[in-house]
Amino acid sequence: MSSQVGKVISLILQERFGPVIEKVGTFLFQYGSNPLLYIKRTTDLPLGKVKEALCVLIKHRLAIFKPNKNENIANYSLCIENILLMMRFPKYLSLIKKKFGDEPEMMIEELLQNGYLTTSEIILRVAEKLKCDVNNLPNVRDKFVSLIIAKYINRLPLPSDEEKPVPIFGTNETELFTLPKIDMKKLAQAYANIIPKDDLGDNVFWVVNYDRFHQDMRDKCLVDAFIKRFDENAGEFLLEIRDIVRKKVVYPNLVTFFDQYVTVIEQDSSQIIRKFGEASGGSFQIHLKEAYTQLAWELVEQVILEKFDSKAARIFRLVKLKKFVEPDQIQQLAMIPSKEAKKLSYLLLEENFLKLQELKKPQSNTGPNKSFTLFYIDLESIVRNLLELCYKTLFNAMTRKSHERFVNKRIIDKKQRVDTIAMGMQAQGATEEQLADIEEMITPPEKEMLDKIDKKMKKLNIEELEIDGTIFLLQMYLKYQ
Amino acid sequence: MVEESVILELVKNKPDGISNDDIKEAIPDAKIEDIAVAINKCLKTGSLELFQNKGKLLYKFKDISQKTAAKGSDNEEKVVFRIIEEAGNKGIWIRDIRFKSNLNMTQLNKVLKSLETKKYIKAVKSVSASKKKVYMLYDLEPDSTVTGGAWYQDQDFESEFVDVLSQQCLRFLTEKAEEARKQGGGPLLARNKSYATAIDVHKFISDLGISKVSLSINDIESILYTVVLDNNAERTVSGDGYLYRAINRFLDPIGLVKTTCGVCPIASRCADTGLINPKVCEYLTEWLEES
Ligand code: SF4
Repeated sequence: MSSQVGKVISLILQERFGPVIEKVGTFLFQYGSNPLLYIKRTTDLPLGKVKEALCVLIKHRLAIFKPNKNENIANYSLCIENILLMMRFPKYLSLIKKKFGDEPEMMIEELLQNGYLTTSEIILRVAEKLKCDVNNLPNVRDKFVSLIIAKYINRLPLPSDEEKPVPIFGTNETELFTLPKIDMKKLAQAYANIIPKDDLGDNVFWVVNYDRFHQDMRDKCLVDAFIKRFDENAGEFLLEIRDIVRKKVVYPNLVTFFDQYVTVIEQDSSQIIRKFGEASGGSFQIHLKEAYTQLAWELVEQVILEKFDSKAARIFRLVKLKKFVEPDQIQQLAMIPSKEAKKLSYLLLEENFLKLQELKKPQSNTGPNKSFTLFYIDLESIVRNLLELCYKTLFNAMTRKSHERFVNKRIIDKKQRVDTIAMGMQAQGATEEQLADIEEMITPPEKEMLDKIDKKMKKLNIEELEIDGTIFLLQMYLKYQ
Repeated sequence: MVEESVILELVKNKPDGISNDDIKEAIPDAKIEDIAVAINKCLKTGSLELFQNKGKLLYKFKDISQKTAAKGSDNEEKVVFRIIEEAGNKGIWIRDIRFKSNLNMTQLNKVLKSLETKKYIKAVKSVSASKKKVYMLYDLEPDSTVTGGAWYQDQDFESEFVDVLSQQCLRFLTEKAEEARKQGGGPLLARNKSYATAIDVHKFISDLGISKVSLSINDIESILYTVVLDNNAERTVSGDGYLYRAINRFLDPIGLVKTTCGVCPIASRCADTGLINPKVCEYLTEWLEES
């Protein structure tokens, strides 16, 4: 993993968990898997603090532990991927809300905030938040069960061998989605505080299944891409061949022209959909590798277009289409003045979008033309570079955010104090007038200032989410290579 | 398919030149596109010559069985002449003549001068490198790689002209696709109706009257290829020509290009410490102030 990722990780940990956990996390990132005492020694933190930090990290699935060679000591290591995924939480929530509604969203939110929870914890917490009636509990339970069935959450594997000093966790795939037994009577009693919650004896823990969310996001990207390239119907077509359910009502055009869509999409130069056989209309396959390769190409082209100009993007696509291109051919085929063509292609070379290969001419080894050079593209290495750039951009956005907070600390703190006072007074039943007086402690110029800071923060937060979208596309490309 | 020999026969019989329409009349059952392809091939090999007479384009036969050796010249001249003859209408660079002929520079310069004054050969400035001259036989029409074709005026590439043409070609394709879509009848029909050949586009461009020089079908193919390279159109092989069609991209602007860092020219020099850093970055400041 790159140093850029390391920097992003330490900022994420710092932002969400504070300096101690950041220190432990950064240590684990730099030195890899290590036992407790080493972590303590290098970070120079009190043992209690290190333990606490590790607990929090493990609870949030941001670190794991495995037995050392001698089986008595555990080695801790960081789950880098999972830390980066925390940036994606807002996306998971909006996805589940759209698909399942409010209660499931709250359940996922609870899990994301707490790492793992038991069946009853999830159901009761959500029920309490909604202040729902005891009779409504089965309803909440059903929502919960539907999340398991749809595989958005799965069981946390339990230790398979508890005798060992450092437990080993089983990875029994088939049991991951087994439905729990839920004693509704006891649950209702616990909800009504008739029995303590600890008496439920619940020992099944649940965690969010990120992969399932990524599947949805993966499909959504493709559907969006199809809508952009063809039309709404084509997007729906893609959904259909995935779900194999025909929603005839919503897209009448798709039904009328189903066969035509098949032909057009199948024959598209992108080659994303392939047809197999003819029996009962044939079957289709979405070629994910092809699809994400296409998207990666386009993504790179966009970056070149914005970073340089349309002529540079044209040169890049020329090399893409021809695979190997002689520098002299570029001006002619791309129809760009030779000086500009040269300048741009070497700029692309310098920024690693193009690569150069030198070939010796077989016969003549004298004279000016003894060797010639060819431009070519190594998409995978570009994708990796762009991924780096994404992390750098994330790091920059987050650094800027904490910097803005730092330079405006005085005014932000003041606002916080005023808010706390106002809230306290409101709780004591203060009058409107009194509250307004408190509000006035913030002067109009200060208010203006605060609004400005707020706007900047929002902008940077949105940027972070959008960058994560790009990261997702790039990761999908690498995944299907 | 139309054989080139058929065209050549027709042209040979008309030493004064023959027009496009005459050719069409003589072979009525051939497709126009096929004729155009055959004519283009002949023009390329140099067996046909295009000239204008009273505003009309005419073709004329040109004997390409080359002049053999330059009479009345000494051996060195003959050698050099042969080398230049071999290079055809792409011409040959003086350094290459020197390597092939083994003459020294002063000798070679003398020979070239002499051949030039006798009008056996000529020097042509090549567009591929501004100070490079290439030599070819006197009565050869330089290849378009040397002159740059329609796109060059006195060795200067007419970039803006190309850009305008490229835009217009794209406009034509987009409008065609748009119209096809509006007509309905399903996506397949719409797609098939959105295809255009270079000949269609050529007609459109000619009718627009934006070009001072007359453009060939091949010129239009070159322009259309830039539209393809810009990822605005797709080119498919059909028969022995190409079909073009406007296409849409897959992606909306991605997150990375909407940020300052994603397109920052000095990103590689930007770090968390040092003069260029995100805390003080002007690009970021400006972007944050924008509403
Ligand atoms: S912070 Fe500024 S200088 Fe650094 S990469 Fe981003 S835009 Fe460029």
